[in-house]
Amino acid sequence: MKNIHLLWLALATYILLQQSCKSDLEVEPLELQTLDQVFDTNDSAGVNANRFLANCYRYLPALGNRVGGDFLDAASDDGMSSNPTNTSVEQLATGTYTADSYQDNLWASWYTGIRIANIFIQNIDRVPLKGKLENGTPFNRVWKAEARFLRAMFYFELVKRHGGVPLLGDRVYQLNDNIELPRETFENCIDYIVSECDAIQDSLRIDPFFLPDFGRPTKAAALALKSRTLLYAASPLFNGENIAPENPLTGYTDYSTARWQAAELAAKAVMDLNQFALQDEFKNIFITRNTERIFSKQGGNNTSVENNNGPVGYASGINNGRTSPTQELVDAFGMINGLPISDANSGYNEDDPYANRDLRFYATIFYHGSNWLSRPVETVEGGADKPGGVKQQTKTGYYLRKFMGDFESASNYSNLNHDHILFRYAEILLNYAEARNERLAAPDLSVYQAIEKIRERAGLTPYQLKTGLTKNQMRELIHQERRKELAFEEHRFYDVRRWKTAEKEFNKELHAMVIYQTGAGLIRQETPVMQMNFEQKMYLAPIPFNEVIKNPQMDQNPQW
Amino acid sequence: MSNHYIKVSAIGMLLIFFMNVSWGYTHNKYELLGYLLPDKSDESITVLDEYGHPIQQAKIYSQQNEEVGMTDQQGQVILASRLSGNQIIIKHPGYYPKIVKLGDLSVVTLTPQHLENRDTIDVLHDKRSKNELLGAVDIVYSKQLSTTPTPLYLNALTGRLAGFYTQEVNGFRSARSAAITSLDLAGSLPTSATKYSSNLSDNSEINFQLRGQNPVTIIDGVQREIYSIDPENIESISVAKDALSAILLGQRSSRGVLQITTKKGAIGPPRISFTAQTGFQQAVKTPEPLQAYQFAYLYNEALSNSGRQPVYSQEDFAAFKDGSNPIMFPNVNWYEAVLREKNPISKYNLGVNGGTKNARYALSLSYLKQDGMFNSSDEFDYETNLTQNRYLINSSIDVDVTTDFTIGLQFFGRIQDGRQPGSGTQNILNSLYTTPNNAYPIFNTDGSYGGSSVYRSNLYQQATGSGYLLDNTRDLLANLDFNYNFDKLLPGLYAKGKVNVSASSSSLIDRSRQQPVFDARYNEQGEIVYFRYGDITDQPNSFATTSTANFFYVQGALGYDKEIQGGHQVKTKVFLDRQTSNYQFDLPSIYTNFAASGSYAFQDKYFGELALNYSGFNRFQPKSRYGLFYAVGLGWELTKENFLKEQTDWLDGLKIRATYGKTGNTNEGGLGYYSWRASYGQDGNNGYEFGSEYAYINSIVEKGLANVDATWEKGNKFNLGLDISLWNSMFKLTAEYYHDTYSDLLQQRGSTIELIGIGYPAENIGKNSYQGQELTLTYQNHWGNFNYFLSANASRMRTEVLYMNEVFQKYDWNRRTGMPVGQTFGYQADGLIQNQLEAQDAPLLGGNIVHPGDVRLVDINGDGVINIYDQTAIGNTKPIIFYGATLGFNFYGFDFNILLQGVKNRTYQQTDYSFGSNGESQGFTYLLDRWTPETSATARYPRLTLGADPTNTPYLNNSSFWTRSGEYIRIRNIDIGYSLPFALTKKIGLSALRIFANAQNLFTITPYDRLDPEINGNTNYPLQRVINFGVNIKL
Repeated sequence: MKNIHLLWLALATYILLQQSCKSDLEVEPLELQTLDQVFDTNDSAGVNANRFLANCYRYLPALGNRVGGDFLDAASDDGMSSNPTNTSVEQLATGTYTADSYQDNLWASWYTGIRIANIFIQNIDRVPLKGKLENGTPFNRVWKAEARFLRAMFYFELVKRHGGVPLLGDRVYQLNDNIELPRETFENCIDYIVSECDAIQDSLRIDPFFLPDFGRPTKAAALALKSRTLLYAASPLFNGENIAPENPLTGYTDYSTARWQAAELAAKAVMDLNQFALQDEFKNIFITRNTERIFSKQGGNNTSVENNNGPVGYASGINNGRTSPTQELVDAFGMINGLPISDANSGYNEDDPYANRDLRFYATIFYHGSNWLSRPVETVEGGADKPGGVKQQTKTGYYLRKFMGDFESASNYSNLNHDHILFRYAEILLNYAEARNERLAAPDLSVYQAIEKIRERAGLTPYQLKTGLTKNQMRELIHQERRKELAFEEHRFYDVRRWKTAEKEFNKELHAMVIYQTGAGLIRQETPVMQMNFEQKMYLAPIPFNEVIKNPQMDQNPQW
Repeated sequence: MSNHYIKVSAIGMLLIFFMNVSWGYTHNKYELLGYLLPDKSDESITVLDEYGHPIQQAKIYSQQNEEVGMTDQQGQVILASRLSGNQIIIKHPGYYPKIVKLGDLSVVTLTPQHLENRDTIDVLHDKRSKNELLGAVDIVYSKQLSTTPTPLYLNALTGRLAGFYTQEVNGFRSARSAAITSLDLAGSLPTSATKYSSNLSDNSEINFQLRGQNPVTIIDGVQREIYSIDPENIESISVAKDALSAILLGQRSSRGVLQITTKKGAIGPPRISFTAQTGFQQAVKTPEPLQAYQFAYLYNEALSNSGRQPVYSQEDFAAFKDGSNPIMFPNVNWYEAVLREKNPISKYNLGVNGGTKNARYALSLSYLKQDGMFNSSDEFDYETNLTQNRYLINSSIDVDVTTDFTIGLQFFGRIQDGRQPGSGTQNILNSLYTTPNNAYPIFNTDGSYGGSSVYRSNLYQQATGSGYLLDNTRDLLANLDFNYNFDKLLPGLYAKGKVNVSASSSSLIDRSRQQPVFDARYNEQGEIVYFRYGDITDQPNSFATTSTANFFYVQGALGYDKEIQGGHQVKTKVFLDRQTSNYQFDLPSIYTNFAASGSYAFQDKYFGELALNYSGFNRFQPKSRYGLFYAVGLGWELTKENFLKEQTDWLDGLKIRATYGKTGNTNEGGLGYYSWRASYGQDGNNGYEFGSEYAYINSIVEKGLANVDATWEKGNKFNLGLDISLWNSMFKLTAEYYHDTYSDLLQQRGSTIELIGIGYPAENIGKNSYQGQELTLTYQNHWGNFNYFLSANASRMRTEVLYMNEVFQKYDWNRRTGMPVGQTFGYQADGLIQNQLEAQDAPLLGGNIVHPGDVRLVDINGDGVINIYDQTAIGNTKPIIFYGATLGFNFYGFDFNILLQGVKNRTYQQTDYSFGSNGESQGFTYLLDRWTPETSATARYPRLTLGADPTNTPYLNNSSFWTRSGEYIRIRNIDIGYSLPFALTKKIGLSALRIFANAQNLFTITPYDRLDPEINGNTNYPLQRVINFGVNIKL
């Protein structure tokens, strides 16, 4: 009897334990896939591999209101944030940043993108992808080339900010690997990006306008990246005027005209593809898929630009008026006749300053009196779009118009294509003109032609340049043309740096146009609103403080 | 409506039940008493307990303190007639001694002591007699707990247990209102910031720690994170702080134990207790907003300090001040508009307890209703205020199936129904804190809700007119216990088993409502026109499950206790248990323990104990799931030694004990979900859109770096204890010293180099030490029938980071290693900059120009700039001290006790800042103390600026300017009561009737008294002061 009790109890315990041992569920979570499942050796469609690659695309640089809600260009002399608080771009413009508080520090993001690309590059060959391009390139090669393109983009973004950075090759580092890597020289980094572009250009897709694959890089994108990379490398900041002349991390330690030539040829290579042409209507470049666009980060159909930057008087909350272009930028736009406003013959009238200007001015800037949503913009003091008080509103009397749709006579916004255009043909022409002008002793016809194409499209009559310009005059002209053409496309902030003129250009006082409505009409007054501040060390962004502290191999940029 | 119905019917049922039983039992009682009530002429008295039941073996002493008698089974004692007219003393353990004059009374009722003192104590999965106890265990009993008028029993523990530290961070329960999604998978968030989503705790109000660790909560032997139980349902709460007492937890044994034992049946006639109480709650502290004109004035000042144009004119100030145009120039104190001053809380509890020799039962029912502090509007016929209704049932039956075999069945059920305003409690609290008095009027002249382009919802509407959200939580626990006694086979051999199933689920019904607001403006003709912001929407009626969980627990033990002649006592036990928890979508987490323990005692003089636990957790890598944990304990009762034999007249006990153990902690939060596996998967809704039609492709991401070496954290815990008991336990003292070292703590490495391109997981890196002293003493005595007592405890804890893979720090003062665990770092501040000269000379933080009135940051390394090298430990670095003292007395039916509780050596960082980070928020009266050139000498706040200012803003750069003392001493709890004399209560058919009043958080002394020292953060629900009245009847 007793023994039976004991047995019974033991049995009951045993059964209970057995029951709980058995699980209806898997032992390891299936939703957490392994690398073998992502790069499946049986998946000829590469569904998961494609999803993994899609993640890498997310790390492409973005444009628009991205630096603390502002355009990066609002940290240049082209604009400023309308936000009354101490915005990131204001701190960038006034130079209040340190190695551990750089406002546009995307170091970790680029290296995350690089890691994703490397994992993809390492593993994609296991996936037996079926398809191929029309020219016979198998998809394995195409996708791998896309990942390599993205990786090259990420490296370029790093190099343009920081100079030479650590290159990881194809390696994917794990927790116990030694990741204390030193920076590579600037030269090696440039060479690496360029060699990657060269290596993949024939593996990438070919037709940039094939709609189902829009957003994927093509050969042209690789060549455009190469063009921009070589242009930067040839520019004074890195080529000849290195801020630390003996430091190979911050630029070349010598000067070479050959670098300008390489940049020129790289731009020419894009032109020679004959795939692209300037869009007739400047405004439309940014809201349609057109023959000028070389490569974009996919944005979507929305009204984000309009909502963020539209003048505040229109249904506030929907129009936040975030960006205030400066009087300096306004003055940079010449007249419709192609002459700068400072030219005595330009016909510029201080009492009617916005008449007969370069058409790109109207496409870039809202001024007092320009038309929007069926009424004139009012940036007079107390006007609908500059009402005063605590609300966010323009600081300069101007709002940003660029990238927006044709809503001049509409009653409200509708969704529009707002992709982030990373490369467009106009930039290639400007790259070409700049590089060739720098290489030659004096600009030749092809320099003129490139610039005149831009001016022609801009609607200038006459668009032709005065003949016989010196190299320096032409350089000045190209710089001005770049500023107008590429405003708010994240060029100015870096162009002025690579031209090594930031100590002059970015130490200026920026101005607003304050307009008063009086009985006798409008009174305009140019008023300083912000003092920029730039020191030599700011030519290169600091390596993030923690990366230097944590990694004994990591050298900081000079003076940071 | 339905809620109201449930409430009414539940109370009704309680009352009916209560009346029935009282009816049924009063009969018995009168029979019983009739039999007992002695004739006046006899020299006999009957001693009864608080339920009117006889007390056996109560001893009667004469005035000369000689024992003259002892009560029998009926509680009766016949005393020699020579004592007639003399005073006698009746004593019984657990009750206050009572002095009566023989002949005056024939029936005497004794009152239980407030501080209970029992011989056996609940330890983890077992009971121990007090003299065998070797670990550091503290316990409080029901009586002390039930004086606290709050929903959580945790409130009642504050200041009562040495080593147990609490901080009340929220004054009201916060319900989960987010629907359960796949993101609630523990594994869906790969970064180190991931919070393990398995936390189903019903406690969002109190942070608590036991010797710096987060203890494992065990309710009737099963781990469950349940903290909202009526203290009256609880028999005792104990904390086990040392390694030996917690070793059965194996992989969680580092954390210590918080063990709750609910009331169980005991042999005897039914003991019925009913308590009804009701009180009101009041915010201890609410911020004081600036009047509209003050706000406008200071806002202008901030604008001009920030280099901007003022926006308010002199006329505006005047208009705000005289209130003549409340639509255009509103001045609304939102705290007054939205909050109610006093909010009711009421609680009913019925307990029945009794049993025969073969079967014992206990039943308790409890209902609680707590109202929040929001106003509701007469406009609607439904209530919108924050509320909770809690229904509890706990029943247990223990049956002796045979003489060898007992079965216990326990069932615990809880329903918690909550309501909050449709826009959500937290949203309202946030808006309350950020909306200036002049933002908009409550109502416009036409009766519409006021608002503006910036304030698109109306705070008053949010609180009263935004519909409501209902949340429902259901908890069930069912416990089955077996005890088998093999005495017939082998004396001393026994087996025990336990099976527990429990489940919890909660859901949310959303009946919120949106209403537009209207901004009144003058048009060009000077007429008022209204601009509308927002839409009118119907109340939706959506339902979502907000969490689900179920648990399965099984335990078995086989033990053998043997007493060998000559005073040797041996106890051995093998033990195994397994706990399976299923939270939301996750795979179950399973803890398994295989343990064995043995203890030996010699003549109650020398004690030794050893326990081993081979314990595993299923989320570690296969083959490294199990580890061995062990603990040893030694004890020595000195009074049993011959050399102290002579002292026993005053020295009852003097015991030294020590334990040491190697413990573990899985730290599930740090470990993550199967983090040793490299895994890939969908990353929420992040993807990329290819093609002209933006075909969305959901991306697959690498979910964190695999930490292939992940293992449990280790603890090395040493505890040394001393127990002294003097003068017949009148005075007792327990002192503890502990030194715990925790290693392999899961932390992110310091050298997280971003080049790797992915976040680093927590690795087994850190090493911290915790050491401290704890002192508990009690003193109980009486002057005649005036019984008084004191119970006090104090704890001191010193923590230190021994290792943390800190990156190279250039200066000593930058180093975190060697500092207390969790030390705040920041800049040192040296007051405010007083003039332009000082401002020019001041070193700058990140190049930000400073002005007079800014915080002066100290350039510690003297390099002329303020940067990361100047950051150092700020705030308290000394060992924290916390203490509590309960004092009380009992005198002829009156009883009183008070709990004083406090903390020393504690600081916190103030986080609120002038007009908020965006420069649009409300301002509070403390801003009047700002720096201005005129008040430079007395200013206690920097000059006003708008928006975040790097030098001044507390949350951007911590500086010691914002360090506040968090020391305080509170009258945490007061309880006062009066019990009617038995002679009176018996006439109305009751054994006892006590009316009482108690209060929580009555009074606080703290050096920085603008903020509550515990709740820092003005958007938290404020700490509540509760004043409560009630009645308890016993049958």
